[in-house]
Amino acid sequence: MKMDTMATLAPPTAAASPEVFQQLGVITRQLHDTLMQLGVIPKLQTAADNLPDARSRLNYIAEKTGAAANKVLNSVDQAKLEHANIAADTRRIAAAIVADPVKAVASGSVMNFVGDVEAATARIDLHLTDIMMAQDFHDLTGQVVAKVVALASDLEDSLVKLLVQAAPPEQVQKVESSILNGPVVNPEGRTDVVTNQGEVDDLLASLGF
Amino acid sequence: MSTDLKFLIVDDFSTMRRIVRGLLKEIGYNNAEEAEDGAVALNMLKNAKFDFVVSDINMPNMNGFELLSAVKADASLKHLPVLMVTAEARKEDIVRAAQDGAAGYIVKPFTKATLEEKVQKIMQKLATAA
Repeated sequence: MKMDTMATLAPPTAAASPEVFQQLGVITRQLHDTLMQLGVIPKLQTAADNLPDARSRLNYIAEKTGAAANKVLNSVDQAKLEHANIAADTRRIAAAIVADPVKAVASGSVMNFVGDVEAATARIDLHLTDIMMAQDFHDLTGQVVAKVVALASDLEDSLVKLLVQAAPPEQVQKVESSILNGPVVNPEGRTDVVTNQGEVDDLLASLGF
Repeated sequence: MSTDLKFLIVDDFSTMRRIVRGLLKEIGYNNAEEAEDGAVALNMLKNAKFDFVVSDINMPNMNGFELLSAVKADASLKHLPVLMVTAEARKEDIVRAAQDGAAGYIVKPFTKATLEEKVQKIMQKLATAA
């Protein structure tokens, strides 16, 4: 938005009032002093300086885990296809043997089947190895996660301190309830969360579902 | 069991969409499309016919609760069953989903058996009501 447009939109009385600017200056100073007394600003500054690094670390984790997941799913798709082919071939050769065992062997169908199974199992073994190797992201990302967690912990300390000081008591609950929490990492001792699908079903049943 | 039902899988993680899609296929439902958030899903629901929605909750732009409310507020969509599949395990979230009209609620991580059971239960309930 252009500056002249903003000037047009701003209420002329407020913009022209020196008292408003003075009050804003006082509030800003009070906020700055409070943050300094709490020791929040230096910590926040450090955390903010490290955020770009943390962002790139998190992107790294997202890329590694995403690539691993796709690699695994692709390998599973391929292995299941091989498995389905073996199952179909087995049914086919079994029917041929039941119908005419001599012909099935003499025509080479049985040996062809044996060869096909051997080749398919070798390919499935490669897919299983790929799945195993795709798990290497865990080691790599685990180290990165530890560093990001340390940064997040510092940031959380600072922000919680700020929130406790700044938020009216009746607003704190509102803020908390608006946050979707994601997976529950430590459910022990908590009564506000469920820990398995059975508890979900029990709760829904108590509601008439 | 009818297997020609059209599913819409809503999740911001493509991996989870792919897993749900794969599980639905194993259960016998081959017709599914995907949306990466509630806003995209709502648009798709308004522009094509779907029979079943499987939705995550914690998503950008429009979360699962907002999508559920929008679906239930739309006369042409409110008949659609919405099964929540989410990592949100707080009781108040489960109660809220039920009160807002969700047809079921599954917490992650989940199994194929759980998904199959919930989908079949919902479809049986709809068939009984019809």
